[in-house]
Amino acid sequence: MSATKSNEGREGQAPPSPPFLDQVYEFLSSVTLAIALLAFIAVLSIFGTLVKQQASPEEYLSYYSESTNTIIKFLGLNDVFHSRWFIAALLLFVLNLIFCSVPRLLRVIKSGRSAKVPSEKALDGMALRCLVTGKRIDDVTGVFKNYRATLRNEGSMILERGSLGRYAVYMVHLSIIIILLGGLIGFLFGYRGPLTLAKGETKDSVVSRGAATERRPLGFALKLTDFQVSFYPTGEPKDYVSNVEVLENGKRVLQKSIRVNDPLSYGGVSIYQSSYGSNPVFVFNVGGEPVELGQGGVYKKGKLHLLAVRYEKSVHNFGPGVQVAYVDEKGQPQTTWFLTEVPRLREKNILGTTVRLDKIQEEYYTGLEVSRDPGVWVVWFGFALILFGLYVNFFLYHRRIYLLEISKGVLIAGTAVKNKEGFREEFEKLKGKLGCS
Amino acid sequence: MFVSNEILSVVTFLYLLLFLGHLVCFATKKEKVLTAVWVGLYVTFGLHTAGLIARWIESYGGITEVYKCIFQICQFPGHAPLSNFYESLIFYAWCIALIVIAMKKRLRFPLLTMFACLVALGFMGYASFSTSVDKKITPLIPALQSNWLHIHVFTCFIAYAAFAVSFLAGLFSIVNWKSIMPPEETLEELNYRSVMVGFPMLSAGILTGAVWAHYAWGSYWSWDPKETWSLITWIFYALFLHARFARGWKGRRIALLSIIGFASVIFTYFGVNFILSGLHSYGAA
Repeated sequence: MSATKSNEGREGQAPPSPPFLDQVYEFLSSVTLAIALLAFIAVLSIFGTLVKQQASPEEYLSYYSESTNTIIKFLGLNDVFHSRWFIAALLLFVLNLIFCSVPRLLRVIKSGRSAKVPSEKALDGMALRCLVTGKRIDDVTGVFKNYRATLRNEGSMILERGSLGRYAVYMVHLSIIIILLGGLIGFLFGYRGPLTLAKGETKDSVVSRGAATERRPLGFALKLTDFQVSFYPTGEPKDYVSNVEVLENGKRVLQKSIRVNDPLSYGGVSIYQSSYGSNPVFVFNVGGEPVELGQGGVYKKGKLHLLAVRYEKSVHNFGPGVQVAYVDEKGQPQTTWFLTEVPRLREKNILGTTVRLDKIQEEYYTGLEVSRDPGVWVVWFGFALILFGLYVNFFLYHRRIYLLEISKGVLIAGTAVKNKEGFREEFEKLKGKLGCS
Repeated sequence: MFVSNEILSVVTFLYLLLFLGHLVCFATKKEKVLTAVWVGLYVTFGLHTAGLIARWIESYGGITEVYKCIFQICQFPGHAPLSNFYESLIFYAWCIALIVIAMKKRLRFPLLTMFACLVALGFMGYASFSTSVDKKITPLIPALQSNWLHIHVFTCFIAYAAFAVSFLAGLFSIVNWKSIMPPEETLEELNYRSVMVGFPMLSAGILTGAVWAHYAWGSYWSWDPKETWSLITWIFYALFLHARFARGWKGRRIALLSIIGFASVIFTYFGVNFILSGLHSYGAA
């Protein structure tokens, strides 16, 4: 959205340098490159939405033929946004933005400093002009309320307004670079990973997601003291809340309820409520003693070894059941099914002990998302700057008014590069106030 | 049947009347008819707003529940009508009417308002009569329970509406109906001014979405199809602005760009919901 005309690029030649460097400079600073790069990034992004990203090789083989798959792999379309093409395009785009913007910005600053009041003849040729007869400059300046004098000489003056509007484009360009920089900081120094916690469980590290999965210490321990899910009458989830405690060296330093849209931030790490799930808990009665086993849970007492192997929500339509493995008298491994809804299969005798399945409970666990992103404030700053820059660029505009004392009075003329129509209206109003022709 | 649905059915019918009113306007070429059409547009817009507010109140379960929620003693708080596909269609039509009214001072010509009413009618009619669009008021899932919802959806849809106006300006200058066409410069001014509103609004929409995503999902950008397509649309309008100002493109070429740009907007809005799936899936329900 540069307001400068393209042919201005030819002005102000750089000092003589080797032709190769000249060519590189020309290439990097061209608007054509910017357009080509943006189009390339857009096309790659389209592929990124059409081809499923970061899926498993089996999934790709189920969607596409083997040859298509090879092409997808070769072009990196299975992970477009981390592919070499995409990153290279972004880097080149940042260079292009810098090479496009800096020289133009310097030119704008220079032209602002070296502005002169044109000759009487030149002012007379301008579209927006008027002559206040029989007055001097000091008699008319009161009319230009929101204008700032940027040049005051004997018999001439320059008034300006909305000067910031000339720098807005560069603000926007700069903020794009800042946002990308914030993204890079997050990519290099941050991590993300899922963390599931059952009630009462404590964890102090997370396995990060992405290209290199590794275990990251949180720097503190997180304990889930309680987790609740509530539902609307329609059955849709209404709220999920994880009550957690932050522990440092075993001591509680913070308590917080993590909800969706209300994360916990501590020590540079943010923890979000992202999902929940439930695990079955099998409540047994083993020889009169209550025993709770989770999936894969083991019970040992003397010779009796029980292992909860497998849970089925419905065993041959006879309701929920759990498969239990044990070791028989001969030392051979055996398995048997316990079903809560079939009385005959609820109670069994194993190695002389009565084992009864009382019930199967669902125990909720919370799915948290852990993220450390030191670049996020850089990104926020970039966001604020780009919005401010866009506002200034589209809704403020720069205009300049020249005043020149001539024999008949004061000659006034104005120019605006953008919003000529709006400026014409403003100038007409000023003319009315000045009472000039 | 909710009161809001009744009101919005009347509003749909009024958009149809307004469209027909414009035809009368072109046939008679009388200034009075045009004034009447504008009064009609204000009334329709007012009713449309009332319909949205009524739906908002109904999502609480009535006005008494709203009072209770103000004192935080209600059981299920309601929400602004911005949470599913039906509500987004109704809101899109409202945004188009809003932007036409806001632009009235500078760009008052009946061809634009006629087509804007037609587009609004299309969205309202689709929302009201299509059996695949669920009109029920459903409670908000936890991810949507945030104040960012209002600002995010508002900025995005104002941007979509502004781009619709830019599309219409582009379309008019390509088809070029001689007798009822405003002058070419007016169309270009209209096209530029609507992108001037749409581009910062789309930027604000993407950025508020990113901030919201950061608080809800723990990541300000996850290349979800909706995010990616909104970025593609943003890049496209950035190209539009550079073609216009850095390259000085005018006339037919700019008109074509605004038409292609709107195709990208429509894909971001509908295509992503129906063809691609992702985190924004509630937009399709």
